[in-house]
Amino acid sequence: MKEETDVSDVVGIDVGGTFTDLFYSRDGIHAERICKVPSTPHDPSVGLLDALNAAEVPAKDLDLILHGTTIATNAVIERVGAKCGLVTTKGFRDVLELGRRDRPDFYGLTGKQNPLIPRNLRLEVDERTTFNGEVVRDVDKAEVAALAEILKAEDVGAIVVSFLHSYANPANEDRVAELLRLFNPEWEIVTSASINREYYEFERTSTATIQAFLQPLIKGYSEKLLKRLSDWGFDRQTLVMQSNGGLVPASHLGQHAAQIVRSGPAAGVTAAARIASEAGFDRAITGDMGGTSYDVAVVIDGEPEITPATNLDFRLPLRVSMINVHTIGAGGGSIANVDRAGILTVGPRSARARPGPVCFGFGGTEPTVTDANVVLARINAHDPIGLTDLDQLDVDAARTAIGKLGDKLGLSVEETAEAILAIVNQNMAGRTRLLSIERGYDPRDFALVIFGGAGPLHGAAIIREVGIKTMIVPPAPGVLCAMGCVVADVRYDVSQTVARATSDIETGELDDRMNEQELEGRRKLEESGVAVKTTLVRHYAEMAYRGQIHALRVAIEKGWDTNRIDAAFDEAYRAEYGNTLGEISTTIVSLRTVVEGQREHEKRTLPEPARLPPPAPYDRRQVHFTKWWDTPIYKRDTLYPGTVIEGPCIVEQPDTTIIIEPGMSGRIDAFENILVEVA
Amino acid sequence: MDPVTLAVVRGAMEQIADEMDLHLIHAAISPIISETNDCAHGIFLPNSGETIAQGRFGLPVFLANMQFTVQNLITHVEGKGGFKPGDVWILNDPYRCGTHLQDVVLVAPHFVNGELFALLASTGHWMDIGGSVPGGWAPAALDIHTEGIIIPPVRLYHEGQLNEGLVSMFTGNVRLPTQIEGDLFAMSNVFHVGRRGLDALVQRYGKDMLGECISELNDRSEQQMRSYISEIPNGVYHAEDFMDNDGIVDSPIKIALKLTVEDSSLHFDFTGSDPAARGPLNLARSTTQSTCFIALKHIFADVPVNGGAFRPTSFDITEGSVISAAYPSPVSGYLEPIGRVFDTVIGALAQAIPDRTPAPAFGTVGVVTAGGKHPDTDDYFVAVFPYPGGYGGHSKGDGLVHGTPPVSMANFMSIEASEHRYPLEFEEFALREDSGGPGRFRGGCGTQYRFRALSEFVISVLGDRQDHRPFGIAGGGPAAPSVVRLGLGGEEKIPPMRSKLEKQKLMPGDSLFAATPGGGGFGDPNDRPFDAIQEDLDLGYISRETAESSYGVVVCEERHAGRKRLVIDVDASKVKRRKTCA
Repeated sequence: MKEETDVSDVVGIDVGGTFTDLFYSRDGIHAERICKVPSTPHDPSVGLLDALNAAEVPAKDLDLILHGTTIATNAVIERVGAKCGLVTTKGFRDVLELGRRDRPDFYGLTGKQNPLIPRNLRLEVDERTTFNGEVVRDVDKAEVAALAEILKAEDVGAIVVSFLHSYANPANEDRVAELLRLFNPEWEIVTSASINREYYEFERTSTATIQAFLQPLIKGYSEKLLKRLSDWGFDRQTLVMQSNGGLVPASHLGQHAAQIVRSGPAAGVTAAARIASEAGFDRAITGDMGGTSYDVAVVIDGEPEITPATNLDFRLPLRVSMINVHTIGAGGGSIANVDRAGILTVGPRSARARPGPVCFGFGGTEPTVTDANVVLARINAHDPIGLTDLDQLDVDAARTAIGKLGDKLGLSVEETAEAILAIVNQNMAGRTRLLSIERGYDPRDFALVIFGGAGPLHGAAIIREVGIKTMIVPPAPGVLCAMGCVVADVRYDVSQTVARATSDIETGELDDRMNEQELEGRRKLEESGVAVKTTLVRHYAEMAYRGQIHALRVAIEKGWDTNRIDAAFDEAYRAEYGNTLGEISTTIVSLRTVVEGQREHEKRTLPEPARLPPPAPYDRRQVHFTKWWDTPIYKRDTLYPGTVIEGPCIVEQPDTTIIIEPGMSGRIDAFENILVEVA
Repeated sequence: MDPVTLAVVRGAMEQIADEMDLHLIHAAISPIISETNDCAHGIFLPNSGETIAQGRFGLPVFLANMQFTVQNLITHVEGKGGFKPGDVWILNDPYRCGTHLQDVVLVAPHFVNGELFALLASTGHWMDIGGSVPGGWAPAALDIHTEGIIIPPVRLYHEGQLNEGLVSMFTGNVRLPTQIEGDLFAMSNVFHVGRRGLDALVQRYGKDMLGECISELNDRSEQQMRSYISEIPNGVYHAEDFMDNDGIVDSPIKIALKLTVEDSSLHFDFTGSDPAARGPLNLARSTTQSTCFIALKHIFADVPVNGGAFRPTSFDITEGSVISAAYPSPVSGYLEPIGRVFDTVIGALAQAIPDRTPAPAFGTVGVVTAGGKHPDTDDYFVAVFPYPGGYGGHSKGDGLVHGTPPVSMANFMSIEASEHRYPLEFEEFALREDSGGPGRFRGGCGTQYRFRALSEFVISVLGDRQDHRPFGIAGGGPAAPSVVRLGLGGEEKIPPMRSKLEKQKLMPGDSLFAATPGGGGFGDPNDRPFDAIQEDLDLGYISRETAESSYGVVVCEERHAGRKRLVIDVDASKVKRRKTCA
């Protein structure tokens, strides 16, 4: 770790499936330049360089490049990773394929899974460790050698070693890994306990498999990326966003392949959390609405909520700490339909980029949310945003499609369009509500940070539905994920299973484990070579009542005795469920340590700006909010801190359109966010 | 009726029921609720008891029988002076609730301005309900009393006042008192979630408007259901299936369905089914009906779950038969007749709409329970390991491997977590080769597992499908039957009733091996492409013998990557298949 001496230029780049977004800043927070270029899925580093060139970022002034990427997600979903072998405890090679007895859909019996490692590449070793870590059968060298011959003949590139109870004692896994490495140093070898030191064999094996499947690909990508950047003239630090909201050096990316699958969404939430916190809101819900989906997450005291696991696909769980982002199928491209009961539904089916909404004129015939916004003139049909290569949206086509739907419902075109928005807004509001209320929080205490290309069109309706008081529209909602890379810290999560009654644990024992984990986290931070200002260490116990499966994360500190820890659990349980279960004793399922190397982290405090009257609108048009209103249209760059604008009005900027409904007002704060509130 | 309000109210009602599900799943103590979602929540009309909405996280098995339970309770409560604010009723009487004693139902009225507006219900599976066998699955039960305590409809809360004596009765009669008490109160807390949601809706739309919406929504659902039924060709379709035995008398038990499709109505006639079983493989009438809906919903997945959707159906089920259980018939093995009812519906629909109907899944829920004192803590433990199995092939592809029963979403416990909790050690947990029914689209494989006792405890098994296998459809073949074997004192034993076994003592070192059926096959196996069969051989899903005998191919052995590989001789196989056809 070196001490940071001066602040220089930084660039955040988020490579998404369709667009590569860039956020260039000279002070680490303000946008000097932003831009969007098409992504290049065959080699995402090409698009990344295109963005740097398009924004004319000066390589020599640049201190840091921070990068979010979908490369890992896409590789898993499209199954284009390495050919892997799996070595398991004898009797358990099928665990990866069997999962835990389930089916893809609640209703419907026709799904199928596609395991990352097929059955003929899954081999067994006659070894066994018990649940308390005792090795009862050692590894036989000759058996491993025979199996290595087979894997070599099968020409695998990576091997996963996953044994039962290796989280309690990884000795046998390590031994086999060592033997395989000796046999063929070319292999990428991943042991399950090195990736996830927690029980649940299927989930741990799956996580290690995802890591091995991605490792060669991601390693190759980071080498190529660093080479390209070097050729471009940049040789300083490049960091990549992980799913947990922390950064990792690009040079170490291969070993963290499984940690970057939710890189992009994590970046967006990280930026939103920072924006909310600076604007003075310690509780926020972040909402990112794009073309096909709406992603929501909760931020408490500036910290995005973290989940220990997710499913990347059917029977493909990934157990790494990540920002808990919930997704529903509600976006600009969501299709409206009247079902067999004669009831209007919107989504989750999407028109996607092609054919897209009817108004794009690419052949879409089914009306979408975007079409509804066009029909109601919420979107400027004569100057569409984004890089659609369109000069004009086809309002008539959208009206025709929506009119047809309206005929089935006995509604006019405008009424139908309003109804489509009402339904999609209810879906998003419902998911937003579930996140807050279900956890025992009052949604009125939250601010909604809305972003994504379609988010600011719908945020006003969402806050109205949920009862949220304030909506925050960041300065650049369309490239927020790129900005998130710029403001993130370096973070490592270390955890291991404890699985014992809390009352049986000696105080010193937990302290020892915490020290051990902290040391490991600090070592990783040191190895990253990233300049950090301060290092923040936090410890958590995952706890449950005895017998319970769902554990609750409780912040704990070194030196606490078990009574103090139990009290903290009670408090957390009450906050989550509204009651406790009284006398039932507790279990510590696992212990987690988060080591965060904080980069530039000064929270800006700016004086409240003096109130300014609204500028003259650059245009006015008739916009439909239950009736046609003569509505002023502002350009975002004409709104200065302190400006107050009254709804109904529309604010347009290159990356999005912001709706302020009748009865609401917007105020530009010192940080150039628009804060929208119900008047 | 304003279509926007209608759509918004439908979404809001579903959201309330979902929030109730999630609340209990997160707050329950028992892993069977928190990990396997063995619960259900719904909102019901106060007079007719018709379902307004049901949560989408609870188990399918409760799909329609929550409504029947509520309807039965309404009749009872009317005789007791009606619902009062602050009341919570509790019951588990399976002849009223439809499943087994472990499923306890709580029902609470919701009042708006002093007037009864809706009923809220919460069903949760309790890990123990007293009775002769830990966990409640009692393979040798001859009557309901052997299986556990019956809770007739009684008030748990009477106008807000907790009946503490009742709670003591429960905790004094179950093996896991703290766990059960925790779950009981977690269930009672769920009603706050439901009330809060309903109150907000009433405030927004007014009570009358909301009532009209609900009634309109049920009519619309009926219309939707009828539109699906209209797509099934009119006709009378017969199907029958058998259970191996009832655990007491070793003779097969028939379930027979005559399904009549007439325009937009369905009539399920089960009158050809056998009388009640002596052992616990009986099913209450309401769950027989519910199972028919579950089968329909698996085929027409976007049919809504509410009272309106149930209207276009009618039933003939002989009272006191094996699928219309009456007191004192034991019912703890009810999941097996459910499987057979489900598969007769599939068998009937496969004749009418083969392209939309998947072949039967493994069909047996085969619950293995282990119970005893844990040597480390001296506490009583109950472990439940239900059968996983294969799904049937269907017109678009092969069946799933290691599925959960169609009426369930329950998972199999993690091996490592099981070894932490219980004094046993798994020796194997594997895909069962050669267990999927052959077909143009193969049934998915079943599973096999074996565990060894580390201390003394008892096990019980309540399974089926050893003599009567999951059948194939559209020319497909049947799946492999289930297997249970015990290793006792170093000797291998088959239980006397093969698929059923009560309270067998295991000593340290003794073991249990279970192998489950795959799914039935779909279509003629001779039409299965060679490359698909080659992949089955490469992955070990089928053996050489099956490839040769069931799929009509010629297989030879080669060396590949240092291993032997079974390879199809395509030319010889074409000749062989041609001969078979001739």
